[in-house]
Amino acid sequence: MSELTKAIKEKTESMLTADHCLSCTSCMAGCPVMEASREYRGPKLVGPAHNRMRFSQEDVEESLDFCSNCKSCDRACPSGVEVSTLNMLRRAEYYKTHPHSQRDDMLAHGERMAKLVRSMPFGASCANLGMKIGKSLGIFKSIGIAGERDMPAYASKSFLSMFKDIRQTSSEKKIVFYPGCFINENDPEVGVAFVKVMQKNGYEVLVDREFNCCGSPLVVTGYLDEALEHAHNNVARIYHWKQQGIPVVACCTSCSLMLKKEYHELFDEPEMKEAAENVYDAFEFLAMLEDEGKLNTKFGSLTHHLLYHVPCHLKSQGFGTPAAHILGKIPGIKVELADAGCCGMSGNYGFKQDKYDISMKIGERLFERIATSKADTVISDCGTCRLQIQHGGHVEPCHPVEILAKAYGEG
Amino acid sequence: MKHSDTIVIGSGLAGLMAALTSARRGKKVTLLTMGSGSLSLNSGVIDVLGFDENHAFVESPRKGIETLPKDHPYKKIGMDMLEKSVEAFLAFTKEYHFPYRGSLDKQIMVPTAVGTLKPTCLAPHSMDGTGFKGCSKVIIVAVEGLKDFYGDIIKENIRPLLGEDLVYEIVTIDTGLTGGRDITTLDVARWLDHDKGMTTLSEALKPYAKGSETVFLLPQILGTSGHAGALALRGKLESEVIETTCLPPSVNGLRLQKIFYEALRDSGVDIIEDTKVLRAVRKGAKCTAVVAQAAAREKTYEAEKFILATGGFYSGGITMREFEHPKEAIFDLPVWFVPGEENWSNEQLFADKPQGFAMTGIRTDENLLPLDGNGKRVYDNVYVVGRNLGGYDFCFEHSGNGVALASAYKAAMM
Ligand code: SF4
Ligand code: SF4
Repeated sequence: MSELTKAIKEKTESMLTADHCLSCTSCMAGCPVMEASREYRGPKLVGPAHNRMRFSQEDVEESLDFCSNCKSCDRACPSGVEVSTLNMLRRAEYYKTHPHSQRDDMLAHGERMAKLVRSMPFGASCANLGMKIGKSLGIFKSIGIAGERDMPAYASKSFLSMFKDIRQTSSEKKIVFYPGCFINENDPEVGVAFVKVMQKNGYEVLVDREFNCCGSPLVVTGYLDEALEHAHNNVARIYHWKQQGIPVVACCTSCSLMLKKEYHELFDEPEMKEAAENVYDAFEFLAMLEDEGKLNTKFGSLTHHLLYHVPCHLKSQGFGTPAAHILGKIPGIKVELADAGCCGMSGNYGFKQDKYDISMKIGERLFERIATSKADTVISDCGTCRLQIQHGGHVEPCHPVEILAKAYGEG
Repeated sequence: MKHSDTIVIGSGLAGLMAALTSARRGKKVTLLTMGSGSLSLNSGVIDVLGFDENHAFVESPRKGIETLPKDHPYKKIGMDMLEKSVEAFLAFTKEYHFPYRGSLDKQIMVPTAVGTLKPTCLAPHSMDGTGFKGCSKVIIVAVEGLKDFYGDIIKENIRPLLGEDLVYEIVTIDTGLTGGRDITTLDVARWLDHDKGMTTLSEALKPYAKGSETVFLLPQILGTSGHAGALALRGKLESEVIETTCLPPSVNGLRLQKIFYEALRDSGVDIIEDTKVLRAVRKGAKCTAVVAQAAAREKTYEAEKFILATGGFYSGGITMREFEHPKEAIFDLPVWFVPGEENWSNEQLFADKPQGFAMTGIRTDENLLPLDGNGKRVYDNVYVVGRNLGGYDFCFEHSGNGVALASAYKAAMM
């Protein structure tokens, strides 16, 4: 039995949740892909119902490919059915006997690609140029990547290399920052802002170069055995820090959800649950400081009206929207919740040519909200949500932690 | 630890109403939810009391309530609070562009998806069967590919109810929403949210519209935003348009849910979704906090006051692992039930007597504070509302949303 088959065979907990399905249809009303496309049969049928009805491995639900793993169904469900995880497990099973496309291989392995790029002199600018040329020549499109989109550009310096040059005040209080691929390779300023925020709160920020990609892009494209390898590595690292009493904090909500919840839902290993207790989302962590009266609230005043798009993968962490509350404390800041549902990007989903229209259709509500809102800045914790906001909303969004860093002023 | 004035647990009608009413009183409210709540599953009309204990039709909910036994939730809530809750609800729906109609004095008859009429107390204009009055022709509008709405059955059933002398005609609309999975009323409603859909529909129906002579009877498809869709179509056709109830997901329930969430945001309610409340922290006669499950860890939420709106058996607010041992899991409140297996249920599901099991729930005093078997208060600051309450069979008497609304309002005002 391969590692994966074993993993799935033994993964009864998520599977068992299917038995709790009451066929109430709540998940159908909440599924953004179902709203955008009639090709998708929807969470109830594709998830729990199919799970109970299938009799062999060949019994494939064709429309499963449409699920974006946004997890709106899980949040809508009154009975705790882990619909999206069921879908991802089934997708992985499908790819055990079916080949992956070149496109999926590329979208799933961004980390591998980035490593290659970073190992070459002028790698980032060459790669960016290459992507521009590739796009104009229609090369991406030819392998099934949405030609309408720009591939996210590599930052000239990755976060980890910028981090080396940040001079921090050392402190007894430490946290380990988990940047994740997107912040590290494409949006390092978020990481820099986070370090500043933690320093202002008396924390010294560490990084751990042995962490790898959380595996989210692998899970959604059906490379579950590779995702499991990543999980084992990351969980071991989280343990390592846990033993020293140092929490691991992430700014990207898909990474934090993967480390905190999805590993365990997918692979069901007790260590994953225990390690997860040492992982925090950035604003979750800051809110906990606030609860203890330890949040530094010496904010300068800023003039911003913010429109906050709350990522699906933040909603699924079950602690509300503390960023709205904390940023609301900054003098001169007004925070408005966009409340426009899923943005439609869902990690690499929106990059697939055959899902591009669905992705943009899902995003319509948010785009319209952005167009009609009086806000001057859009904020969102998730990197791929920000890409979608840029692409469809035609504005330059930022991460909420960047606003907070700004409020702490220079120095 | 987060501190609020009031914590509401649950996002069905009772929870949403309790949170909104509390916030509008100036309280700092946190709403804790798991799942999207019951409104997508029920038609969002407010049944106050449709049938009395003997299953006789109740003409006036106000009068019907007088005849209820003293342990019925309405008796604890009191007529005054029921009236005020109805007033508050009507005002709120009007403010958010989805005005409901009705009063406690008279039922509104709402057409169902099989063509019968069911009594309710409050309903949006688009579901108010009063609109059939004075018409001479009913156009039943079916939608190509939409299951669970059969023109023929509706026609057959509604004819004796509205009058044999009226003309009935069935028109089937082609929405172009074909290919792929079966469509639902929600798909059609979303299509009608856009001008293109609305124009297609109104053009198709226009030839049949003869002013006040005609009434169009449609499935629940007129848009997902308040009464905008119904208003638009009524305007274009210059005839009355009426929607039936439907199977879930319920478009009308979702419309109501939408304006509740808008109003909650506008009144500054902090909504924490996808979190299951696990247990309460108790100090003497008071609850000081509840502990809820978030990803990877528990979170504690403190407050002065708690409103329990987690629902009954169906939504897991009350559970029963062992027969005759129903439980309320968060506060471990005593749950009242009809003892004796023989009284538990009637042979027929839709019988002319309330079902014993359906009466299961928490007993409270006049303040909606929970009582134990000896009539002693269990908590001084935990209020029980909606389907968590015992002593009524909402299905039998058609009182579900009414009890939810009124108990939520009262609990919020205490
Ligand atoms: S994860 Fe998202 S796309 Fe997939 S079934 Fe659930 S709601 Fe639909
Ligand atoms: S919301 Fe949950 S219980 Fe309802 S149909 Fe979907 S999976 Fe089943």
